[in-house]
Amino acid sequence: MAKRDFRLLVNGKTRNVTAEPDEPLLWVLRDRLGLKGTKFGCGAGMCGTCKVLVDGEAWPSCRLTVSAAARGQKILTIEGLGTPERLSAIQKAFVQHGAFGCGYCTAGMIVAATALLMRKRNPTRSEIIAAMDGNLCRCAAYPDILAAIEEVAASTEEIEPTA
Amino acid sequence: MKISRRQLLVGAGALGGAGLIYGLRFSGDAPVSAAGVTAPAAPPVDLARDYTDWLIVGRDGTVTACTGRVEMGQGLETVLYNLVSQAFDLPNERVRIVLGDTDTCPDDGTTIGSCATSEVGWGYWLTCGRARAELARLAALALECGEEELIYSGGLYRVANDESRAIGIGALGDGVPREAVIDPAAMPAAELEYVDRGTLRIGGEEIVTGRRIYAGDLEVEGCVYGGMLLPPYHDHSTKILDADLAAASEIPGVVSIEKHRGEVRAYAESYPALDKALAAVEVSWRKPARPEQLDLVNEIRDGRKLKEVIEERGDLERELGRCDRVFTETYQTQFASTTPMETETAVADVTSDRATVWVSTQSPFLDREKIARRLKLEESAVRVISTKVGGAFGAKAGHRVADEAAALSKRIGRPVKLVYSRRDQFQRFSRYKEAVIIDLRSGVDRDGRLRALGIDVMQDHGDGLVEVYAVPHVRTNLYETDLPAWHATMRGTSFSPDCFALESHIDSVARQMDFDPVEFRKQNVTLASFRPLLDACAEMAGYANYQRSDDRGLGFAICNHGGRQLGVVCAEVSVDRTTGEVKVEHLWAAYDIGTIINRNTALANIRGAMIWGIGYALFEEVAIDGHRAHASGFEHYRLPRFSDVPPIEVAFLDNQAPGSPRGCGEMPLVPTTGAICNAVCNAIGVRIHQLPFTPERVKSALEA
Repeated sequence: MAKRDFRLLVNGKTRNVTAEPDEPLLWVLRDRLGLKGTKFGCGAGMCGTCKVLVDGEAWPSCRLTVSAAARGQKILTIEGLGTPERLSAIQKAFVQHGAFGCGYCTAGMIVAATALLMRKRNPTRSEIIAAMDGNLCRCAAYPDILAAIEEVAASTEEIEPTA
Repeated sequence: MKISRRQLLVGAGALGGAGLIYGLRFSGDAPVSAAGVTAPAAPPVDLARDYTDWLIVGRDGTVTACTGRVEMGQGLETVLYNLVSQAFDLPNERVRIVLGDTDTCPDDGTTIGSCATSEVGWGYWLTCGRARAELARLAALALECGEEELIYSGGLYRVANDESRAIGIGALGDGVPREAVIDPAAMPAAELEYVDRGTLRIGGEEIVTGRRIYAGDLEVEGCVYGGMLLPPYHDHSTKILDADLAAASEIPGVVSIEKHRGEVRAYAESYPALDKALAAVEVSWRKPARPEQLDLVNEIRDGRKLKEVIEERGDLERELGRCDRVFTETYQTQFASTTPMETETAVADVTSDRATVWVSTQSPFLDREKIARRLKLEESAVRVISTKVGGAFGAKAGHRVADEAAALSKRIGRPVKLVYSRRDQFQRFSRYKEAVIIDLRSGVDRDGRLRALGIDVMQDHGDGLVEVYAVPHVRTNLYETDLPAWHATMRGTSFSPDCFALESHIDSVARQMDFDPVEFRKQNVTLASFRPLLDACAEMAGYANYQRSDDRGLGFAICNHGGRQLGVVCAEVSVDRTTGEVKVEHLWAAYDIGTIINRNTALANIRGAMIWGIGYALFEEVAIDGHRAHASGFEHYRLPRFSDVPPIEVAFLDNQAPGSPRGCGEMPLVPTTGAICNAVCNAIGVRIHQLPFTPERVKSALEA
């Protein structure tokens, strides 16, 4: 396959990239757009580490080709959810609860939690667990992650991205 | 983070900044301080390590502490900030912690064994106490007052009752030669008492916004992705017989692909191109010499060789012949994989006479040694910088990714990024926590006193064989085994299989003799401090009034981790008798782990470890045969998930005497596995002797 030009909508901006059509979005984000916050976990959509928001849904970006992602969908990465100075409600709760060990899976966790709360503002504990069960954390920070999401789920805070 | 090649050699040098005026550098050469005053004799201080060479007070009033240990999610960085900032009464902004850089940090060995906080953290705490004493002495000289007149706060010495006379710690070095020479043994330590303020983890904002830099996130000018083709066998010296590179070299984005010394090495502009190229190589491998079929149990038993008699006391055989009851059991554990979420990753930049390698590692100094050997360079020409590590758990100690990346970079003459695929992470070098077989024989008198205990452990590593029960007649043998896969250090090390076997056996014996398993343990433990832990845990779990049912049960297990950490865990499980599926409903734990530096990081480590205990008990297993492992991704290896996690309650033994922390990163997983297994057996009324307790295994136990 030859390289082609693609137009992506990432974090509210139009970004033009040249890539192989079957190149996974994950590597386009990381190495062609410099958005390193999205991490490689397994390359098979089995761990949730590389999840990004695609039109509000959490998708493993390793399982989405750049050509499939360039059809006008709004893509949000962890960089588009909040900044250190202006954290989103979920990011803030993760900090307050220390909801991470090494932090490597955290972007995928926050993306998955954001997708859930955007779809359903006040999910129950079991709904949170069901929605998050595809996101693995080997440090097993699960109790703190769950507490962080539950806190936001029980609040009335704005959960839209702040970046 | 963008690094140009010219900046590489000085880049990331945490100590290269301006404003450092002197280090609190002491040596034993001349026991005279810089100011020419002989320091008074001091009582000996039990330093885990003397860090005086590595504690630097800057002119800007900052304090920098350096250690070769690394941050891998356990919170070492946070703990060091807590200790140094409290010792100097400074905000975190005026403290710098430098980790894992071989050029700027001392060689503290590998970050492993739950001892970074107890050794490095506490070593720094005590060193800070000495530094404070030295600074007070310098301040008294500078302010022309007695030390007893000084008031210290926030990096500033003031003279009591005279607000105009003050000096900051940054200015105390004026006129002091950079290498102030003071005999450390002669330094008194300031009396400091650590108070845990329960601070949040350092760097949280950076983590939750995706800004934390891991090895794979580094961008080095001119860098390409590099990789090697993986033999599909345990034996990684297996050579390639024939490789057709034509199709692979046609893949767009491939920079070069070659057969080099029996390996296929590829370089590409992007990770996906590299991945495709390696997959497109048509290759045939020399078949391993040993048979593909693996009869694990018999191979372990037949091939075992006595390595060490770990413990021998009394006359085991004679006593077994005299005991009222004798119990004989065998337990078996599985191969397991560490699987950090970040696969092994390194970026290497090798020129003709220097190598710089950024790597996700627990062992930067060992990596440096390996790189120097492989590249035939002096160690001083090699710099290894441990980036923030995306989980390690033993996998990133004694690994090869750093020297592999360096070899790739040297060969192509460009910086190379090497990112293991998930398959590589599972299979490269076939390193697993090994399968273990443990034979136990015990003799008990009718009052429930353990009189004799014989343990034969067939595994290569015996660190878990710490005495837990007071038995007069003991023999513990450690046998070396010959397995087709290699041993890897994995969180819990050999403590977890050994504890599973012993605690299953103890529970089994107690139940067969109709003794309460908690009382039976209390009666037989070596260390008295297990008793309050057992009581606390039983009380939390409501054990006294607990009613087991056909599909629910409680189980206990205890662990003595190297004599430093003690733990008791109680688990409640439910068992689906039709499917054999086990769910952990609740975990309670009581620990004695010494002083806690940061309750938040301690609890995060403890709960994480306990969740590991669930995985090891119920589902984590790498299936292997004589040639290869059959796990290459998460579809073949089940990790604990959100839905596996029960409520977890943790209590700590109140330590009356303050002392050093003793670590908690691994131990809690060890008794958790044992407790879950005992709870399952209690619920179903049948003893299972093999980990993990998969639905199939539980079902067949129920049907037997």
